[in-house]
Amino acid sequence: MAVVKLQGVSRSFPLGNKPIIALDKLDLTLEKGEFVVLKGVSGSGKSTLLNLIGAIDDPSEGEVFIHGQRLSSLSDKQKSQLRSQYIGFIFQAFNLIPVLTALENVQYPLSLQKVANGEAKDRATEALTQVGLADFINRRPNQLSGGQMQRVAIARALVTKPDIILADEPTANLDSETSKQLMDLLGSLNRKTGVTFLFATHHDFVLSRASRILELKDGHIIKDERLKNLNLVDQIPPGEKVG
Amino acid sequence: MLRLKLALLNVLRNGRRSFITLLAIQFGVISLILMGGFFASMYEGMREGVIRSQLGHIQIYQEGFNQFGSQQPEEYLIDGEVLQKITKLVEELEQVELVTPRLNFTGLLTDGSRSLAVVVEGINPEKEALLSSAVKLTAGEDLFEEDTEGALIGDGLFKSLNLSVGASLTLMATTADGSFDARDVTVIGAISTGTREVDNRFMRMNLQHAQELMYTEGVTRLVVLLKDTKHTEEVMALLSETFKKQGLALELRSWSDLADYYHEVVNLFDGIFSIVQIIVLAIVLLGIVNTMVMAVMERTQEIGTIRAIGGTRGEVIGLFISEAFILGLIGSVLGVIFAIFLAQGITAAGIMMPTPPGSSQTYPIRIFTEADLLWKNGLYGLLIAVISSIYPAVKASRMLITQALRFA
Repeated sequence: MAVVKLQGVSRSFPLGNKPIIALDKLDLTLEKGEFVVLKGVSGSGKSTLLNLIGAIDDPSEGEVFIHGQRLSSLSDKQKSQLRSQYIGFIFQAFNLIPVLTALENVQYPLSLQKVANGEAKDRATEALTQVGLADFINRRPNQLSGGQMQRVAIARALVTKPDIILADEPTANLDSETSKQLMDLLGSLNRKTGVTFLFATHHDFVLSRASRILELKDGHIIKDERLKNLNLVDQIPPGEKVG
Repeated sequence: MLRLKLALLNVLRNGRRSFITLLAIQFGVISLILMGGFFASMYEGMREGVIRSQLGHIQIYQEGFNQFGSQQPEEYLIDGEVLQKITKLVEELEQVELVTPRLNFTGLLTDGSRSLAVVVEGINPEKEALLSSAVKLTAGEDLFEEDTEGALIGDGLFKSLNLSVGASLTLMATTADGSFDARDVTVIGAISTGTREVDNRFMRMNLQHAQELMYTEGVTRLVVLLKDTKHTEEVMALLSETFKKQGLALELRSWSDLADYYHEVVNLFDGIFSIVQIIVLAIVLLGIVNTMVMAVMERTQEIGTIRAIGGTRGEVIGLFISEAFILGLIGSVLGVIFAIFLAQGITAAGIMMPTPPGSSQTYPIRIFTEADLLWKNGLYGLLIAVISSIYPAVKASRMLITQALRFA
């Protein structure tokens, strides 16, 4: 089942008189449960692609479909609701809200969905337990290490049970050991929950965890390699939310 | 709940900035309450001054007096029999403190060498002493019923004629039947009504003496003093109905109908107050807008994150408005509390104000802190804080998410 579908998507940015083409007529489909690594040098269009799939940017041409919904037909509010329901984000700089505790940071996306406080707390605790931070739920971001902060960010992305999690260089600010642990965690979560992961990364060790590798160059996909079958995805009935 | 907590935590996040914002809100609320309280005390002082020096709360006249009485005052006098009946009816009302007759006419006061036109008021001294508590004796002694030829002279008039207590004067006037007569009067004191224009050409004498001069047993008006000014409209309605039922052709005027100068001053000061209010609120608004814009700038990446994880524009606007609401609420409550203390302190200090234009008396600064004034200005503080946050909040909500996320 296609979680994400791009049809002839281009994205260009004005720079003086000449537009810079970040993505050029891209066609792409991401299936449920895939663990996709997006590689490419800086400026190849990785972040632009993540932004378009994440419904936080609009293509100059073409159509993006998330969960079967054409993004160009949605209002800003509807896009926000779509992001809230179907998309999780993991950022390079963690982007946690500094005044909230780990638990509250994870709870926050649920409060945006108007989930009752008690239920949100339970689900956030469960998500933090999944990422191994059960003992750190009352700590603020400044009381956590980089790896722990990124785990909180992962829990925040997971807690709403999205269709896809988009991660833009999630290990860039972490040491190699922590990065590997994090990737193991994400791989395990991918297998357990069946959520689709799309990673933009420079790190080669990430490639070994991937079920699919996409390589971008000058706004084009120059490589699309499927590495293994995903038995888990086959077990999930079509249309059912994972998590 | 979490979103409200986030707003509260954001307020506490930058203590110094929140403190400055709170100070701005408090400054606004305190300024408006102190100024409003001072004006309210001034209005009350003026109102009670005119009521208790000249007008009473209600005046009763023969029907037609206010339209034609200035040309033919003798035709519109309330005669003795009707006077007794009206007095009895008025005194029956529990809201009434007293009712007293007055006979007003113009005359010529002379000391033999100089003559001045005067406004004369024939009064019942005992009752008038209670009614005219705002009239100050500036020289000599008060008037009593036994002072049959005694007269109290307006302070300005007293000085301009260079009079002394005990001086003998002659008062000439046109009588009720149109002839001309004169009576000797003895100056027993000088009075100040608080209004310089009145004090320059005003005198009071015993009603009986005035009636003898005017060849009449009637009076121009009956002046009613109430136990509380707030009963004025109610008693006006009651009297109007009672007089109608009794078949008495009378006219009623409240102090408010007669106090043109009071209304002019109130309108003028209300206008000044409105301008000051706008200036103060604009200063507060600009201060808060500035701090909120800074907060938006500092939290750009956070706003991008909230939007990316599903927060709508309304969510971002709501967050900043909630923060402003919290600041506004705390600032307004503190502002109201400090304003009460300051008002009490200033009032207790008894600082004297200079004599206002048209007045002949100084007065101490008093600042009222009526509930109405407190909650209204507290609400203004809260509203201005919320209004101030709208522009920064909308600006924050309209940021491009991708740009906001890149902001470091």
